Amino acid sequence: MELEVKNVKKSFGGKEVLHGISFQVKSGTALGLLGRNGAGKTTTMRIIMDVFKGDSGEILLDGKPFEPAKERIGYMPEERGLYPKRIILEQMVYLARLRGLGKSEAVENAKNWLKRLEIEEYANRKLETLSKGNQQKVQLAATLVSNPNIVILDEPFSGLDPVNSQILKDVVRDLIQDGKLVIFSSHQMSYVEEFCENVAMIHHGQVVLQGELKQIKKEMGRNQITLVCEGSTIEETKQFIRQRFATMVQVMGNTREGIILKLQENCNKESFLSALLQAQVKISQFGDYEPSLNEIFVMKAGDNQ
Amino acid sequence: MKNFVIVLGFELREYLKNKIFVATTLLIALLGAAFLCLPSLVDMSKYLPVPPKEGVVPEEEEEKPEKIEVEYYICDQQSLIPENLIQEIFGEGTYKYVSQEEAREGVLSEEITAGFVIHSFDEMDYYVLNKGMLDVESQMMQEALVVAGQMDYCQKHNLDYAELNDIYNKKINVNEQILGKDTESNFWYCYAFEILVFMMIVLYGQMIAVSVTNEKSNRSIEVLVTSTTPTSLLFGKVIAGAIASVAQVAVILVAILGSYGLNRKSWGGSLDMVLDIPAEVLLTFAFFGVGGFLFYAFLYGALGALVSKTEDVSKAISGLMTVIMVVYFLSLTQLSNVDGIIVKILSYLPFSSYSAMFARIAMGSVSLVEVLISGVILIASIIGAGWLGASIYRMGTLRYGNPVKLSNLFKEMRNENR
Repeated sequence: MELEVKNVKKSFGGKEVLHGISFQVKSGTALGLLGRNGAGKTTTMRIIMDVFKGDSGEILLDGKPFEPAKERIGYMPEERGLYPKRIILEQMVYLARLRGLGKSEAVENAKNWLKRLEIEEYANRKLETLSKGNQQKVQLAATLVSNPNIVILDEPFSGLDPVNSQILKDVVRDLIQDGKLVIFSSHQMSYVEEFCENVAMIHHGQVVLQGELKQIKKEMGRNQITLVCEGSTIEETKQFIRQRFATMVQVMGNTREGIILKLQENCNKESFLSALLQAQVKISQFGDYEPSLNEIFVMKAGDNQ
Repeated sequence: MKNFVIVLGFELREYLKNKIFVATTLLIALLGAAFLCLPSLVDMSKYLPVPPKEGVVPEEEEEKPEKIEVEYYICDQQSLIPENLIQEIFGEGTYKYVSQEEAREGVLSEEITAGFVIHSFDEMDYYVLNKGMLDVESQMMQEALVVAGQMDYCQKHNLDYAELNDIYNKKINVNEQILGKDTESNFWYCYAFEILVFMMIVLYGQMIAVSVTNEKSNRSIEVLVTSTTPTSLLFGKVIAGAIASVAQVAVILVAILGSYGLNRKSWGGSLDMVLDIPAEVLLTFAFFGVGGFLFYAFLYGALGALVSKTEDVSKAISGLMTVIMVVYFLSLTQLSNVDGIIVKILSYLPFSSYSAMFARIAMGSVSLVEVLISGVILIASIIGAGWLGASIYRMGTLRYGNPVKLSNLFKEMRNENR
């Protein structure tokens, strides 16, 4: 199963907020939808779910127009969305049945998911009586209660403590392993890095980066190296490199332990390394630089972009 | 359709699990039924037009004669009104002849209820401390004075007062046989039903609007509209509200009408004008009452979707409330003229047929064709309101923040349909 978002545009009150969003995601993989607040992630998800209609563009599933009502989808909106004053099990069964499950299957699934998320003792309690973290777990259980093939999670990790985050991570990993198609948005890049093969970064309503995460990191780190020198501080190393090797490399920044350098056009890794050795620099680490997703995010969606 | 039934069941459970809703229904039904059983359990013959119950000795016979207190002072120095006439009107021992000053003082000191000073057949003074809404004493004395004047005239002109009185106040025996509708007897239950439907629409309509706004406020609407159609959601919600309200009214009506039916003899039929309702009137009420309720309920649901906070609901529904109030007052004020042009017009409009057509059927002359036309208009309007409501609901539910203007929403709906 492949879901494809093609050139989707959307305006609110005459102002275009999505300027042609495109990305694809396949079953058995997770796509991390990244972007700053107001970038257009939630609007994109809502258009996929047919909450809003896009002004133009297409949403295709295996090449055919995607109709959310006809698919088994688990959708967890950012604002959440359950009844605070109703019994948890009752509303989970209600949502499962609206998505096509029979009553007994809905009850069984609801109980299983509550158990899986370690909140089965709250099944007959009102949602409002639970802590915020447990309410989010109920929300996730309600999202997955209908055994969806497509799972769309808008900021699923926000507000979760580390223990609950781990439970959610395990659930998402299992969904991917079970061959589900997962799209989720997050500000927490570490979660995206953990289980997303693909990412799409939205900035000001446009996809500014998209593709396989490994490839993106490789691309973004091309011609860049990290260098850690023994017995020198980062600042001393930076100053030394600027004085002696300015024709070969450009200092780009630093990691926690060393500095990041970009090779000039006429230079390659090998020649720079031999120049360092000739200069009797005590090297403790030398290698390709691969930026973290967080760094890529700041680069692509930072204030100066 | 399947999802409509699921939504309906979910919403209906909300009403049935509401302890206040269930307790209120049962309490009103039980209290009503118990009250109507009273004459069968307790001797109320003193207050009702029924003979005392067998084996029960009338209270008058058991009790000692009441001590009669003087309530009126009369100053009639010329003895214009014969004392037997005064006795007939006020009762023996309830009055005392006094001077003009004493009559006034007696009232001021609150010893007596009223004082009268008779000057002539054409003039009298009436003293009372605080005149109440139902003050009848002055009227009674005026009547006595008129009769006394007539008797005096007859005496002076050598006429027989009794004979003349018989001719002027001849009693006619009327054998009334109502072949059509008795407006007088239908008036009260018609009045009661008008109020009942009005209350159902206002109370439950508001509950439906609040329920929709709540879903928007707790954001469950976003999950719901991605799980099923807005038509299933709104129809499920509205029909659940209708079933709950009709069930509540039905339980109360069955308890009250049933209890009255069983105890009707004990009441001497004195509540027939309100509680002895013909079956066809009940059926008409059921059709037009429920129809009108559904029509308004869909509009309430749609309006509830325009706001995001429950405190804004009253603002959103204020326009609709005005329409309901106008219809209500027009219907009540026109109840005594149900065959008039105003009620005729109102009986065809879906906003008012629930009340006007019902009144015409219960109290006026209306042909079957007219009822059918009004019924068809009402059904078509309910479907139209449902469709419009679902569209507004779908468009309005995902507009958070400030209340959405209906005009803007219609504009967007038009653009979307292009």
